[in-house]
Amino acid sequence: MIRIEKLTRAFGAKEALRDVTLEIRRGEIFTLIGPSGSGKSTLIRLIDLLDSPSSGKIFFDGADTAGPEKDRLAIRRRMSMVFQKPAVLNTTVAENVAFGLKFRGVPAKEAEEKVNFSLNLVGLADLYRRKAVTLSGGEMQRVALARAMVTEPEVLLLDEPTANLDPVSSEMIEDLIVRINKRFGTTIVMSTHDMLQGQRLADRIGVIMDGLLAQVGSSSEILYQPKGRQIARFVGIDAITGGQVIENTGGHALIRVGETCFEALTDIPGGKWVSLCIRPEDVTLIPSDSVSEKTSMRNRIVGRIKKIVPSGPFVRVTVDCGFPLIALITRRSCTDLGLSPGSLVIAGVKATAIHVLQEDGDRNAAG
Amino acid sequence: MSDITNGIVQAIDLIITLDPEVMQIAVLSLYISLSATIIAALIAIPAGALIHFNDFSGKRAVIILIQTLYSVPTVVVGLVLYLLISKSGPLGFIGLLFTPQGMILGQTVLIIPIMIGLVISALRGIDRGISDTLVSLGATQFQMIIEIVREARFAILSAVVLGFGRAIAEVGVAMMIGGNIRDHTRVLTTAITLETGMGNFALSIALGIILLVIALIVVVILNLITSALSSDMQQIAGGGPHG
Amino acid sequence: MKKNVYIGITATLIAVLFVSALIAGCTSTPSKPAAVTTTAPAAATESAQSTLVIATTTSLYDTGLLDYLQPMFEKQYNVQLKITSQGTGKAIELAKNGDADVLLVHSPTQELAFMKDGYGLNRRSFASNSFLIVGPESDPAGIKDMTPEAAVTTLLVKGTNKTAGIAFISRGDNSGTHSAEKTVWKNAGYNYTAQVQKSGVWYVEAGKGMGETLQMASEKNAYVLTDEGTYLAYKKDLKLTPLVSKGASLLNIYSVMTVYNDKQPVEKIQMANNFINFLISKDTQAEIGKFGVEKYGKALFIPMTVEVPTAKEGWVGDYSTPATAVAPATATAPATAATTA
Repeated sequence: MIRIEKLTRAFGAKEALRDVTLEIRRGEIFTLIGPSGSGKSTLIRLIDLLDSPSSGKIFFDGADTAGPEKDRLAIRRRMSMVFQKPAVLNTTVAENVAFGLKFRGVPAKEAEEKVNFSLNLVGLADLYRRKAVTLSGGEMQRVALARAMVTEPEVLLLDEPTANLDPVSSEMIEDLIVRINKRFGTTIVMSTHDMLQGQRLADRIGVIMDGLLAQVGSSSEILYQPKGRQIARFVGIDAITGGQVIENTGGHALIRVGETCFEALTDIPGGKWVSLCIRPEDVTLIPSDSVSEKTSMRNRIVGRIKKIVPSGPFVRVTVDCGFPLIALITRRSCTDLGLSPGSLVIAGVKATAIHVLQEDGDRNAAG
Repeated sequence: MSDITNGIVQAIDLIITLDPEVMQIAVLSLYISLSATIIAALIAIPAGALIHFNDFSGKRAVIILIQTLYSVPTVVVGLVLYLLISKSGPLGFIGLLFTPQGMILGQTVLIIPIMIGLVISALRGIDRGISDTLVSLGATQFQMIIEIVREARFAILSAVVLGFGRAIAEVGVAMMIGGNIRDHTRVLTTAITLETGMGNFALSIALGIILLVIALIVVVILNLITSALSSDMQQIAGGGPHG
Repeated sequence: MKKNVYIGITATLIAVLFVSALIAGCTSTPSKPAAVTTTAPAAATESAQSTLVIATTTSLYDTGLLDYLQPMFEKQYNVQLKITSQGTGKAIELAKNGDADVLLVHSPTQELAFMKDGYGLNRRSFASNSFLIVGPESDPAGIKDMTPEAAVTTLLVKGTNKTAGIAFISRGDNSGTHSAEKTVWKNAGYNYTAQVQKSGVWYVEAGKGMGETLQMASEKNAYVLTDEGTYLAYKKDLKLTPLVSKGASLLNIYSVMTVYNDKQPVEKIQMANNFINFLISKDTQAEIGKFGVEKYGKALFIPMTVEVPTAKEGWVGDYSTPATAVAPATATAPATAATTA
């Protein structure tokens, strides 16, 4: 649907987006995730042709978008965009929704039907005559969504559509996005800094870090096999650094970190320096004084609890094993196990739960 | 003190009795200043939009120049224009001196800078997100500008009202170009100057009050028109009054 | 929604009414003279009716004399007078630029220069009166009934001596009245710029119109030289009384002249001449002699038919010969001033 090739956008000396190549497929929900200021909005604005790249190309349905403004307008009119901050004009909800139709010269009668349909879609039909500026943030964003959908776009672009909203409104918007995608087959490109939202909605996720498209993949690929430490950190993993592959027999590797040895699955050959990505929820904890029991855990590491931080119904337990290892366990099991800072525990990690990242070459040379 | 109270009494009297000479002066004032305001608005709103929506080198300088012209004394506008339209001036052949048309021209020139400047400010006041939203909704450049101007209508109305206020209250152009000729180019401000010169202070106050009454009526009507524009927009969106 | 429609329709209606009122207003504007004066049946159509622009000074216009005479002349000649009153200097500039057809001022030196430069024809004097030196009733300088020269000399001496309560306010604007004041100083033997203008804080240049200057003098208990018309108009608001009113130096002569330039159409010049002849006609002179009696209890002007003032040669123009010239007699000869009749 949309093919992006070597796209760069510089603002003065600063490159907001660098050499991005990406293909967005027809009918998918594609989520761009990344920290604030990483270039997500810049990319979405470029896709909507609100901005022009410094170099590189965008093809829409096979057509180069770098044409004259007339052609760009025609392409832009096949898309719609919803912005992070919903901007409504100082008039009624109905007229706000009708703008796209008005610009396209849709006759009043037909426009009215479409506006009604669109407002029904987002569940705001009863606000038809309300002054749009009097709406709540969530309602405004739904109006923005109705306004975007009223022109039946092939591509719907959403730039952090829920970033300014409360959880209930966010959920409503998320539901609408999925419904729109299912019902109309609209291709959706959405940016978010919320990894979980990306995971909930997206067929595929692109991670943007510092203007670079760092990784594209399914949500589980991003969550469990991040391509770098920065991405790992963004998806909630504090990678353990300074590991070295001792030996690798057919993808089954023995990795030493300080005094500890891990078993993990990787193709990285022996001698290489690596980091280990372990999702906190994949780490189990048992008190060290409990009699050793049979377990499938290949890795059992003894450590002392450094701190326990509550996180909703969970707690994040930082265990000092010579390196910090973080476990995410339920609050209940924390209580049941009688864990407290200072207590000795045995942390268990399955070999399959460890994602191994090769470190930079110079470290290798140093070793 | 008594001149002020007498002035108020006299103003009420002149208004109630529809004193023909005062009414003629008032209508002429209104005609000239309103014409100037309408012409200036028709020029200033597109010009302001043109400056605001285009990036060109020297844009800052243009805006600074416009803002500087806010301060141009009315007498200077009158004098420069007089030298241009005097029989011995380059535009003398048109015969605008001592005519209401000449006064309209003068007041238009006088209020255009302030209107353009305030229109630019009004448009600047519209969130950047609005223009992005409109473009993303498929607006052409022209459609976008129209909608932004409409969005800024209340601030633009202020620009127009201020322009009208400056026009109807000014005396320099009216005196230099109009000449304060009775039955012909005498407007409220020049009549006030004249009556003051003749020592008729109460009548001057009365004329001042009438000027304010006219301003009040005009401002109320301009506000009504602006509101009407809003409700028209709602009708369009609703697909007609029965929508 | 209904309410909005209602407001919209109302506003539109008001706007329409407003605009139509405007159109009606502006179309009826020029026809005002026809509506007020009882029009002669043979009156020409508006567009054909010729106009005559008269440039005059504010102090003369503010007396109301011209407004009083205007309908008489308009009726007699079926012409529309457009009288613009400006400062003396501006009025003369208007005439020089050809923007006025008739110049009507009271500043003999400036008039003579104007004539000499070939901008005018048929200078005629039509009335005179006397400037007054007015001041606080207590008259701290004690100038009452002195000659004007003695009065200003006393004021200057006491003023520069910093005698308490002595101040003089001058128009300081090169108007006809200001010129008259300068003449008094000159006749008293002073160099105005060197000996008077910067002689101290007692001498104030207002740079304002006559009315405002009088008010300022009243507030400051100062002396001031004024024309009689403005003084009478402002009298009720002033704490000033006339102290010196007699003397050749105070003579205020009103003259009128036809504006001439090579682009000026002959018909305009002839109509301007008509106006001049109208002013010096017996009937008009009689009207001038009566003007002001009703309002101020005394006449503001002395018509030439009543008294021809004696003044410096050339200052009083011809007042009896009908204005007929439509072009300068020769290039070099300015309109000769008739001093005798």
